[in-house]
Amino acid sequence: MIHQFSYMAPTELDDLLALLDTTKGGFKLLAGGTDLLVNIRNGLLKPDLVIDVKRIAGAGAITYDVEKGLQLGWATTINDIISSTEIAKHYPLLQACACDLASYQVRNRATVVGNIVNASPCSDMAPALLCLDASILVATATTRKTIPIQKFFTGVKQTVLQPREMVVGITIPSHTKDSKGVYRKLKRIQGHDLGIVGVAVAMVEGRLRIAVSSAAPTPVITDDLPLDVSAPDALYAVERIINPISDIRCTKEYRRFMVSEFTKRLIQEVRA
Amino acid sequence: MKIQVTVNGIAYEKDVAEHRTLLHFLRDDLGLTGTKEGCGAGECGACTVYFNGKTVNSCMVLAVEANGGTIETIEGEAQDGVLSRLQDAFDRHHAVQCGFCTAGMIMSARELIHHTPHPTVKEIQDGLEGNFCRCTGYEQIIEAILDATGGYREKEELVYVREQ
Repeated sequence: MIHQFSYMAPTELDDLLALLDTTKGGFKLLAGGTDLLVNIRNGLLKPDLVIDVKRIAGAGAITYDVEKGLQLGWATTINDIISSTEIAKHYPLLQACACDLASYQVRNRATVVGNIVNASPCSDMAPALLCLDASILVATATTRKTIPIQKFFTGVKQTVLQPREMVVGITIPSHTKDSKGVYRKLKRIQGHDLGIVGVAVAMVEGRLRIAVSSAAPTPVITDDLPLDVSAPDALYAVERIINPISDIRCTKEYRRFMVSEFTKRLIQEVRA
Repeated sequence: MKIQVTVNGIAYEKDVAEHRTLLHFLRDDLGLTGTKEGCGAGECGACTVYFNGKTVNSCMVLAVEANGGTIETIEGEAQDGVLSRLQDAFDRHHAVQCGFCTAGMIMSARELIHHTPHPTVKEIQDGLEGNFCRCTGYEQIIEAILDATGGYREKEELVYVREQ
C-alpha cells in the first residue's frame, strides 16, 4: 500500500467517539476493511488516520429478544449472521441475503454495518434490512439517534451520516420477526461477484414488500402491497421505484427485465 | 507500530508500518512466501490465510490489525515434512499446475472440511467460491478434496450443480 496513514484501535466506545470528535485531518473507520483497504490501495481514499473499531468489547455482538427484536453490533460480520441460529429461525431473509454476499473469506471480515455505510447501490444486506424495517443507531461523542433505514441512503455511496458520526448498531424490530422472505441475486458467474440485480420479497404482517438492489442509485423498497396483489400491480409498484443504468455488467433494459422476472418468481415462492 | 503475532506456532515481535498489509508482512518481513498476492482486492483468494481460526484474504487485513493474534499459513500445513491429507490428495489428483492458487485453495479447503467434514461437490464449489484457479478448471481440485474427505469414487463422473 503506497499511501501511508496512522492507525489507532481504541478499546472503549467512549474513547473512540471522543477521538472522532477531536481528531484533525481526514480519518476513516476500519471494520472489515474489505472496501476501505481496497480503496486506499487504489488511491481513491487517502486518510491520515485509520481508526479500527473492532477492539471494543461487544463490537460484534448479536442479541435477540422476543420483545425488543434483534440487535447487531457495529462490527458483526456477515458470517456471524449466517452462523446465528436465532437469525436463521426468526429473520431468515437476513440470512438469505448474507449468504449471497461475496465469498466465504470475505464474509469472515465484511460487516453488516460496513455494507450499509458503504451505501453501494448493489448492497446485498440492504434489501433484507429495508424489508425488515431496520433502524440504524448513530452516535457522536455527545448525541445518540436512530434513523430508519428507509431514510438512510441518499445517493450512490451517499448516506445521511455526518463526518463525525458513527453507526453503533442496527436494530431489527420484533414486529418483523418470523417474516417469510426470499432473495435472488443475478450475477455474471455463479461464484463471488457483484450483483447485476438483486430482488428480495418479504411477507410482513400479512402484506408483501419488494426491495431491489443494483437497479437505482440506492437500494429501494416498494410500499406495502396486499398479499394477493396481481402480478401487473406488483410489477408496476417495482417499476416506479427502480431507475437502472447501463454499465459494464449489463444494460438497463436487461436489469429492468430481470427485476420483473425475479419479482414474479419470488412472489410465487413467498406465497407457497 | 510494534506488534506481537504467532505465526504457525512461532511467536514474533516486529515493528511494522501501519499501512503494511498482513500479506506483505508475512511474505516480506517473515519470508513466508508460500502465500501469494494475486489481485490485491479480495477477488482471487491466493492470499488466503487463517487469522484467529478463520480464513481471511490477507491482502485486505493490516498487519497491525493482527496484533495479538494467531496466523496459520501454508508453511504450517505439512507436519515434520509429511504432507497433510489435503496436500497429499492435491498431489495425487494433479490439482496443482502452476501452483499460484494452491496455498489459498488448501486454506479454504481446510476451513470447508472443518465445518463440513464430508462435503458434496456443491458444498466444495460454494466453499471455494473465493478462490480462483486459472489452470486446472477446478475439476482436479474438487476431486482432491472429495478424496481427502472420503467422498471420491474413481471413474465416477462428478455432477456439477448450476443454479437458476
